[in-house]
Amino acid sequence: MITTQDRRFRLLQRAAQKCAAESGNLLDTLRGREDYQPEFEYFLDLIKEPTAAATERRSGRTAIRLLCIQAPLELIHAAGFQPFRVFSGSHAASALATQGIPALVCPLLRAVLGEMALDKANLSGHPWILPTTCDWVVKLPEMSALTGLPSLPEFHWMELPRLKNDGNSRKRWMDEIWRLKDFLEKTSRHAVTRTALLASIEAYGRAADAFQKLKTSRASGRLSPVWFLLVGNAFFLDAVENWTEQVNRLEKALFAPRVGQNRHARIFLAGSPLVFPNFKLPFLFEEAGLWVVADDLCSSERLFPGKTFIADTSVFGMLSTLAGRYHQGCLCPIFADNDRRINNILGRRPEADFRGVVFEVLKGCHPYDLESFTLEKGLKAQDLKFIRLETDYSPEDTRNLLTRLEAYRATLEEA
Amino acid sequence: MAMTMTRTRYLSGAESKLQEIRWGFQHLSFLVLIYGGRFGIHLGSAVPCFACPFVPGCGGYCYLMGLQGYIGFGMRTLSTPALWAAFGWMVVFVILVAVFGKAWCGWACPFGLIQDWLSAIRKKLGVRERIVSPAAQKHLTRLRYALLLYLVFTPPLVTAGVLPEDFYLAFCNICPGKALLPLFVGETKYLGLNPDNAVTLGLSFTLLFITGGTLVGMFFKERFFCLLCPFLTLIHLLKPLTALGLVKTPNACTGCGSCAHACPMDIEALEEDRADVQHDTCIQCCQCMKACPSHDALNLDFFGVRIVSSSKGGA
Repeated sequence: MITTQDRRFRLLQRAAQKCAAESGNLLDTLRGREDYQPEFEYFLDLIKEPTAAATERRSGRTAIRLLCIQAPLELIHAAGFQPFRVFSGSHAASALATQGIPALVCPLLRAVLGEMALDKANLSGHPWILPTTCDWVVKLPEMSALTGLPSLPEFHWMELPRLKNDGNSRKRWMDEIWRLKDFLEKTSRHAVTRTALLASIEAYGRAADAFQKLKTSRASGRLSPVWFLLVGNAFFLDAVENWTEQVNRLEKALFAPRVGQNRHARIFLAGSPLVFPNFKLPFLFEEAGLWVVADDLCSSERLFPGKTFIADTSVFGMLSTLAGRYHQGCLCPIFADNDRRINNILGRRPEADFRGVVFEVLKGCHPYDLESFTLEKGLKAQDLKFIRLETDYSPEDTRNLLTRLEAYRATLEEA
Repeated sequence: MAMTMTRTRYLSGAESKLQEIRWGFQHLSFLVLIYGGRFGIHLGSAVPCFACPFVPGCGGYCYLMGLQGYIGFGMRTLSTPALWAAFGWMVVFVILVAVFGKAWCGWACPFGLIQDWLSAIRKKLGVRERIVSPAAQKHLTRLRYALLLYLVFTPPLVTAGVLPEDFYLAFCNICPGKALLPLFVGETKYLGLNPDNAVTLGLSFTLLFITGGTLVGMFFKERFFCLLCPFLTLIHLLKPLTALGLVKTPNACTGCGSCAHACPMDIEALEEDRADVQHDTCIQCCQCMKACPSHDALNLDFFGVRIVSSSKGGA
């Protein structure tokens, strides 16, 4: 007789196989590309095993799980931990978390719940840090319980103020940063020293510099947007020092601009995060003849919103700067006063020379959905062609999206 | 050594050399203004920064001293040459300010450099910098204006006999530059009390008190004395004439606040959505531009021509 437990086990087994196939197929596709170079192998290896356990093995540090990027990575690193971002673009994992939760849950969070179901053994012993960003993130523990997952082990909430340009909000966020420091010190059982914090800021500064070079390479056509996205996705899967070294190595080894790149129309990509193995859109962009020269995705360029300038090298001074950078400097649409986000896109225009903006919304991602309308208005006023794509992790809408993108490309050429 | 170099680079975000050039320029200016006279260099009596005349062999005189002297002597003698000299130096001062604006404070002032040295020591020791809140800044602005008024109105009162002669160069007598800058040529006499009479005793005591307080303040707060300096106010009053200005492109700003964090004068107005962000306490040190991660969001214009702009790599 087959019990519910057996059925659940089989379901998980099938989902695990599908996830592996999904990821494996994409890795094979990437390896088979014309522009494949051996230097990509490091990043492909990281992506192949995107678990906290593997990341701990590679980095030699205990992983602290994060969902969003508002917790200062430098502080986590200085406390001796490896920041590990729990995100997933797996359609198979997303399909696993359907029962007991609303139908229109953000696919990313749904996939995270699915990954958690597949990765139960790894949940224990890994502290979590959750900044209160969107509603789905805030409700993650509740959804995790509703879908039958065990409660998350150790948890640290960071209450993220939704106002950036307000003195009180900034003070509250600063308090949260100090609370995070206390939490990390308590968890690691040693103090975050000034020297360690300085060293971490330097390490992430070097990573930002390396990534900046890759951005230039992408804009100049030396690096395909697909590979660029992969490198960004691999950021949390190894020690920052190793990742930086490999990015620099890759940048040096990149070939001359790809033949035919000039025929592509240059676009800016904005919207919800694109996470491996959900590379549906980047491939469609290529097929439609669009080249992403710049983006503001939190899984890509926004990993490094800019350099960290430390004017005061005391622990207070450094934390204060980091607090500002991760709060005021954050362009996530969850903020009430995010009107300057458009400036980031317009500011990139002279250097990246794009003619249009593609705004991608994951179904159920309400803040991005809403902000797309605001941006559309502002960007069109600046003579930029705008297209809004609403999609999820399923491959069903591929043809439809491609048709729309091809038509969009035609409008760019007319412009 | 390599470690130190790396650290400096990543903490400052300096891919370009603007701050290194400024640091070099500050030292060069210090050498000229403190020791220049010993090598035949003298830049006159209208230097728009703390070129202290109490330093034997200095390379120029601070215009604040000149201003007090001209007001006092000019009114006393009412002789044509004295008045012409006063007028001449005033014109020179206005021209120097019109061309270089607040850059005198951020790039040339020897007393500013001393403050920067103390800040560098504090940073090395990892001691937390104190932030001056906007409310406190308002009070300090009032104090700065009060000091300027004291500086301008004391000489006529001395001339008119309302105040005793010992109040001549009233501001210089309480300026910490008078106590500290001569130390660099081995002159220590201004560190003692002057017991000639009650006024000199009071003024010398005030000088020591202000100097002590300033030293402590300068250690814990970057450019602390600049918040009190009447030069800052005087130069700011000439702002409509100045060719060098800090200009913001509001459309390029993402509002990250890095500029205000980096500003040694804690100017929060840098974050505002307007083009003119040249606040009255700005010293044009360009730290904000170095910290700004947005291309062209903060710019330094000279006669309307953009000479430096912020960028992802650092201004």
